[in-house]
Amino acid sequence: MSQTWVRAIVGLVAFFVVLVAGINVTGTLDVTADPNTGLIAAQNTIIAILFVALLAGLIAYAATEYAQTRRLDSITRQFDTRTIVLIPIAIAINIVLGQTVAAALKVPIYLDSIGTILVGVLAGPIAGAVTGGLANLIWTYVLPAPFHSDYAAPFFIVAVEIGLLAGIFGRLGFFRSRPNTPPARLAIGAIVVVAIVAIIGFYGFVPFYSSGQISFFAPPAEGAAAPDPVFVILGWLVALLVIGAVVGLLALLFIKRDLGAAYVFVAGLVVGIVSAIISAPISSIVFGGVTGSGTDILVAAFQQAGSSLREAVLKQGLLSDPIDKTLTFFLVFAILGALSRRFVARFPQGEAAVGLSEG
Amino acid sequence: MLELNGATYRYAGYARPVLHEVSLRVGDGEIVGLVGPNDSGKSTLCLVASGLAPASIGGELKGTLTLDGTTAAGLRTFELAERVVIGFQNPNTQRSGIAATVFEEIALGPMNLGLPVVETVARTRDAISRLRLEAIVERDPQRLSGGQAQLVGIASLLAMRPRHVILDEPTAQLDPEGTRLVGEALEALAARGTSLLVAEHKTDLLDRLCSRIVVLDAGRVVRDGSAGGVLDDPELRELGVEPPARVRLTRAVAHAGGDPRALEAVLR
Amino acid sequence: MESVGAFVIGGYIGPLAIIVLAVLPAAVVAGVARRLLRVSLLLTLPIAISVVLVSVFTRAGSTVLFQIGPFDATLEGVDFAGQTLVRLLAISTSIGLFGLTTEPRSFVLDLERRGLSPRFAFVAAATLEAVPAMVERAGVIASAQRARGLDTEGSLRARLRGVLPLAGPVVVSSLTEVEERSLALEVRAFGRPGRRHLLWRIADTRAQVAVRILMLTLLGAAIVMRLTGTFPALP
Repeated sequence: MSQTWVRAIVGLVAFFVVLVAGINVTGTLDVTADPNTGLIAAQNTIIAILFVALLAGLIAYAATEYAQTRRLDSITRQFDTRTIVLIPIAIAINIVLGQTVAAALKVPIYLDSIGTILVGVLAGPIAGAVTGGLANLIWTYVLPAPFHSDYAAPFFIVAVEIGLLAGIFGRLGFFRSRPNTPPARLAIGAIVVVAIVAIIGFYGFVPFYSSGQISFFAPPAEGAAAPDPVFVILGWLVALLVIGAVVGLLALLFIKRDLGAAYVFVAGLVVGIVSAIISAPISSIVFGGVTGSGTDILVAAFQQAGSSLREAVLKQGLLSDPIDKTLTFFLVFAILGALSRRFVARFPQGEAAVGLSEG
Repeated sequence: MLELNGATYRYAGYARPVLHEVSLRVGDGEIVGLVGPNDSGKSTLCLVASGLAPASIGGELKGTLTLDGTTAAGLRTFELAERVVIGFQNPNTQRSGIAATVFEEIALGPMNLGLPVVETVARTRDAISRLRLEAIVERDPQRLSGGQAQLVGIASLLAMRPRHVILDEPTAQLDPEGTRLVGEALEALAARGTSLLVAEHKTDLLDRLCSRIVVLDAGRVVRDGSAGGVLDDPELRELGVEPPARVRLTRAVAHAGGDPRALEAVLR
Repeated sequence: MESVGAFVIGGYIGPLAIIVLAVLPAAVVAGVARRLLRVSLLLTLPIAISVVLVSVFTRAGSTVLFQIGPFDATLEGVDFAGQTLVRLLAISTSIGLFGLTTEPRSFVLDLERRGLSPRFAFVAAATLEAVPAMVERAGVIASAQRARGLDTEGSLRARLRGVLPLAGPVVVSSLTEVEERSLALEVRAFGRPGRRHLLWRIADTRAQVAVRILMLTLLGAAIVMRLTGTFPALP
C-alpha cells in the first residue's frame, strides 16, 4: 500500500513541477479576466500546459512503479483479455449511438461516449483513455463509409480525458449503487449537490452568459441595445432546464432512495465542464465552430450576440457538455445496474466500481 | 490425462460454492461424457476442468487439476491453451471477430501460439479437412449458419492440437449430419491419444462415443461408470437425464413382453 | 498526411494546392477520382451548409452585405466561410482517398507487421466488425420495437420513447457476449507475449516508399513555411 502512495506522490510532484515550469517558461500569463466574458486571455496556453503536466505526472507514476517492481502491473492489469474484447464493443457503442441515436433525437447532445465511460469504469482510467482515443481515431481513419466521420479524430484528446476521468470516478466508487440510504444522509447528499450546482452556476455560468443582470445571452458589447427577445427566452429555457435537472435528481434521490444518483450527477457534471473547456479551442480552430450537429445553432446564436468565435464555442460547450455527460453517466449507471454482478466483477476494476455483492 | 481431485469451486462475489468435492479422471484416448439436469454445474465443471476457472474468471478453487501429471495451478491462460482447450455452446461468441475468412478464423489459434507460417497453414488445412469445411473456407465467418459456425468453432480448437479437449454442448446447433461429423472428429482425436470431456444433452451421441459417463447433480458427482452401465441405470430419468433411444426402445420391448436381448443384437 | 497539412495551412492557396496537386492525381491513378469526389462532397455537404450559414451571418465585420431578421451577413463572414470550406474539402478528400484506396483490414495487418501490438491490432480489427454488427442488431431490435408499436419518428417525446428502449437492449446484449468471447479467445492463446507470424504480407513497392518520403518532406516544409509566415495562419 505504501508503494502506491509513493507512486501517487511522485506523479503529483511531477505534475506540479511541470505546471510551474511551464508557466515560467511561457512567461507571465495574462490571467486578468476579460470584463465582458470572464475568459482569461491565456486560456489556451494554460490548457496546453495542463495537458503536458498531466502527461508528465502519468509518466512519472508509471516510471516509479517500474522502478519499484520492474513491471507495470497497475497499467497492464487494465488490459486483460476481457477488456480487450470489451473495447471494440465499446467503440461500436460510441459510434452507433453517437451517429444514429443522437441524430434521430435531433437534440444538441452527442451521446458518443457511453462505451468509453463503461470501459473506464470497469477496467480503469488508462483503459478508458485508450478506448476514447482509439474510438475517435478509428472513427476517422479506419472505418469505411457509412460509419466514417471526418470530425472525430481532432477531438480525440477530449475522448481520452473522458475515459481517464470516468476511470478515476469508477475507482473512487462513484458508480456504486447505494440503495436504502437513510433519509438524513439523502438530505445531506441533496444539499451538497444543490450547493455544487449553485456554485458552478453562479461563478461558472452566470458571468459567461450575462452582463450583470440575470439575462442570459445578453450582448456584452458596450452601448448595445436591449438583448434580442429570442435570446432572453433561450436563456430562461436554459435556466429552467438546469433547475428541472436538479429537481429531477432530487426526486430520483428520494423515490429510489439511492444516494448513488447524486454521485453520478456530480461526476457527469465535472467531466462535462472539463470536456467543454478542452474541446472549445479544437472546435473553433479546426472547424470554425461548426461540427454539423445540433449544437451549431447555439454557436451561431452566441456569435450573433457579440461573442468571438472561441467564446461562442466555449459557451455552447459549457451548456451542451455537462447536460450530455450527466445524461451519459446516468445511462452508464443504469447499464451497470442491468448487468449481472458476476459479469461486472470479472473486469479489472469491476469490484471497486460497483461494490461487493452481499449474496 | 486430465484429473480433477476433490474440486470445490466458488465464483467470485458469491458465498456458496457451485461444485462440491468433484473428482474426475479422463485417461489418454478416452472420451468421457458429462450429463446432468440444467443448473447441475456442468458448465462450471467444464470451466474448472479447462483451468479457466480460476485462471481467467477468478473465484476460488479448492482441490487440484492436473494435466498429464503436472498441476495446472498458477498457469497463465495462454500457457493453459497449449495443454487444454474448451469449446462452448454458442458459436457466435466463439468467433474471434477479426477474421475475414473461415480459413483465417481457424488459423488464429496456431498463429497466436507463435508457430511458423508453414506449420500454421498445415494445422489449419488438417482441421478443415477433418470437419469437411473445404467448401466454406473463403466465406465470411459472420455469415454462416448456426451449424456451420459451430463446426468452424470446433475446427478452431482442433487446430490448436491440444492434448486435452473439453466441449460444453458442442452439438446444440447441429443437424444429425453435423453431429455425426463432430462425433467422427472426436473419435479420431481420441484415437491419437487425446483426452476428451464432453457435456451433452444428446445421450444417443454419448452412448456411441463414450467409454465412461459421469452424472452431475447439484454440483456433486452422483454416478461415474461405464457408458452402458450409467445409461442403463433405471434411476437416470429421476436424475434429470433422458436415456438414449436404445435404452428406451429396449425397455419398451421388454415392457411389451418381447425379448430385449434380440433387439440388442439387432441394434448392435 | 495531406489532411494534417490542411489542418496546418490557412488561406485559400494551400488547401486548394493539396486538393489539385496531391489528392486528385493520386485518385486518378488509383481510378477512384469520381467516387472520391462524390463521397467527399456528400459527406461535406451538411457541414458545409452549416459553416456557410453560421459564419456568414454571425462573423462580426464592418462590411455588411445584407440583413435577415437580427442576422447581418458580412464580407468577413463570407471570407471566413470560404477559407473553412476549402480546408474542410481538403481534409475530407484526403481522408476519403485513404478510405477508398486502402482496405481497412489490410491496413490493420500492415500496422501489426510494422510493430503494432497484437492486442491493439485486435481492437482495431474487431471494431471493423463490431460496428456494422451493432447496426444490424439495432435494426433487428428496432423492428421488434416497431412491431410492438413504438415510434421511431414523430415528435421529440415520441422519438425519445422510441430510442431509449432501443439503446438499452443493444448495449446490454452486446456486453453479455463479452464474457464468453474473451474465454474463447484465451483458449486460442490470445494474449501470449511475443510476436506472431502473420499469414499475409502486404506489398510495399519502391515507388510507394518514395512517394511517402516526398509527402513527409512536403508536410515538414509546409509546417516550416507556416511557422515562418509564408503561409497565412488560420483565421
